[in-house]
Amino acid sequence: MSHLDEGTLHALLDGELELSEVKEIQIHLGICAACDSRLQDVKQFLAEADRLVGALEAPAGSSRTRPEPEPRPADTIPPRNPPPWESAPELLLPDPLEKTDRRIASRVFKWAAVILVVFGAERLIQGALQPDKPRLELSSRDLTRPAPPPAVVSQQETGRPESAVTRQVRPAPAARAPLAKAAPERKAAGDQPAPAAAAALDELDTAGAAAKDSEVAVPDTQTLATGRADSGAEQNTESQDLATRMAAAAALEELDRERLRSRANAATASLPPPRAELPPAAEPAPAPRTLEQRAQVYLRIGLDEAVTQLGRPVHVIEALSPEFIGLTPGRLVPGADPNRPVVRVVYLERGRMIMLDQQRLRTGQAPGAAAGSLRWTQGDVMLYLHGEPSADVLRNLQRRVR
Amino acid sequence: MTADLTQLFELYYESLVRMLYRRTGDRDRAEDLAQETFARAVAAPPNNPRPWLFAVALNLVREDGRRALRQGRRLELLRSDDRPPQGPEADLERNERSAAVRSALATLGERDREALLLKAEGFNYEEIAATLGLSKGAVGTTLARARRRLVEAYRSEARGKHVAS
Repeated sequence: MSHLDEGTLHALLDGELELSEVKEIQIHLGICAACDSRLQDVKQFLAEADRLVGALEAPAGSSRTRPEPEPRPADTIPPRNPPPWESAPELLLPDPLEKTDRRIASRVFKWAAVILVVFGAERLIQGALQPDKPRLELSSRDLTRPAPPPAVVSQQETGRPESAVTRQVRPAPAARAPLAKAAPERKAAGDQPAPAAAAALDELDTAGAAAKDSEVAVPDTQTLATGRADSGAEQNTESQDLATRMAAAAALEELDRERLRSRANAATASLPPPRAELPPAAEPAPAPRTLEQRAQVYLRIGLDEAVTQLGRPVHVIEALSPEFIGLTPGRLVPGADPNRPVVRVVYLERGRMIMLDQQRLRTGQAPGAAAGSLRWTQGDVMLYLHGEPSADVLRNLQRRVR
Repeated sequence: MTADLTQLFELYYESLVRMLYRRTGDRDRAEDLAQETFARAVAAPPNNPRPWLFAVALNLVREDGRRALRQGRRLELLRSDDRPPQGPEADLERNERSAAVRSALATLGERDREALLLKAEGFNYEEIAATLGLSKGAVGTTLARARRRLVEAYRSEARGKHVAS
């Protein structure tokens, strides 16, 4: 056999030769290094040329410039709100720091709400059990806490004229001494002062001390106390009551705030420390399956090997460029001999995989093809077209199998 | 359009436009020519549609080219893609490569170029022979020559560009 011409080598690689010719050529290639070397060259040229022509892919859409549509009346209407699916996806991703803050604030508010409910219930119960006592009464436990600074200030301290309220709140100096003196007497007599009154006394004592420190001249309590304790007792009762109530209210308010703060602090301190909010650890994405894995091809082969395996020219779908040719186990192909590999030509059309399986029928092997089926025979080769597109699409492609 | 022609359109339109785009380098022209081809198929439904459609399309390209030359217009085989730029460097690189391939393709003879483009559309030798009016035995030689010249012209152009830069 003379040397192979380039056209024959291209025809060989294009799968256009008959089996007898292929066998002859293979024998020649086995003994002729020059032709074998030229075949390698031709393979390179063929692959390179295919790659170059393939680089001239048409753009996906038409490049025609379409005229701008005339502005319709509807165009003058303000644009509608974009539907949720058009909104930017990043808006759905919360800022980790904001999320942390919100979570902490949410916990604190929950605890504060619980504390408020409990405290309110406690006060209601106390009010219900002791209806005679003033509503702004402090429990004995409350008295252990220091009272807030008195609302009574001297004129010199403020530097402003004394208001009527201040005047009203400030007890008469004469009244303080009898009250201070009367307290131990009442204790001795078994007349325990009401907690509110005790707080008020504390208030008044504190106010008295403040007044002493101030430059306001405080009359001598000894002289003022004489003969006035009894006559002023009734007049002082009103102002005393008002002062008691106001002082108790202020103390209670401050106490409430203090309690809430301390309980909230205690509650938040007992919580586990806030973890740094990291975006949820993304599951390591599984490595995308290769096309060979998807096609269940265990060995990728070239056209020559495919022709050798099949013993016939490989069938292809016209106008489709195969991704690759491979071997797949015969047990995966209905009707195939499970002991022999099947040549599988794999295509990718718009991301969907199409496989054209080819198997040489043995003598006596039933074709097993039904009319209209995607499994049919051409000569002594059984073909099976299957893949991800629908059966209708595959039937259309079936007509193009050459 | 009858059901058969609808099917023909579905089967071959995309492939025809692709081949025409590779041949002309102009997507609009490719679409116009493909539509003209199918219009002719409507007027005279072919028996063997695939080779017929591609042969008519290639004839139209030749006629169009001759008409363009008569009118003094230059056939813009090297015209760069007039798509708006999609990406920065990758797009530029693709356009340059595309222009280089077109330039290399333009150095081929008419028949060689058409055989190459038909082969790229999945035509077998028999169909190429039927479309181009060749003998089947000549297709291998035609393709061998076309492939070798294309690759050599492309390499030569790439070398020239490399030296120039």
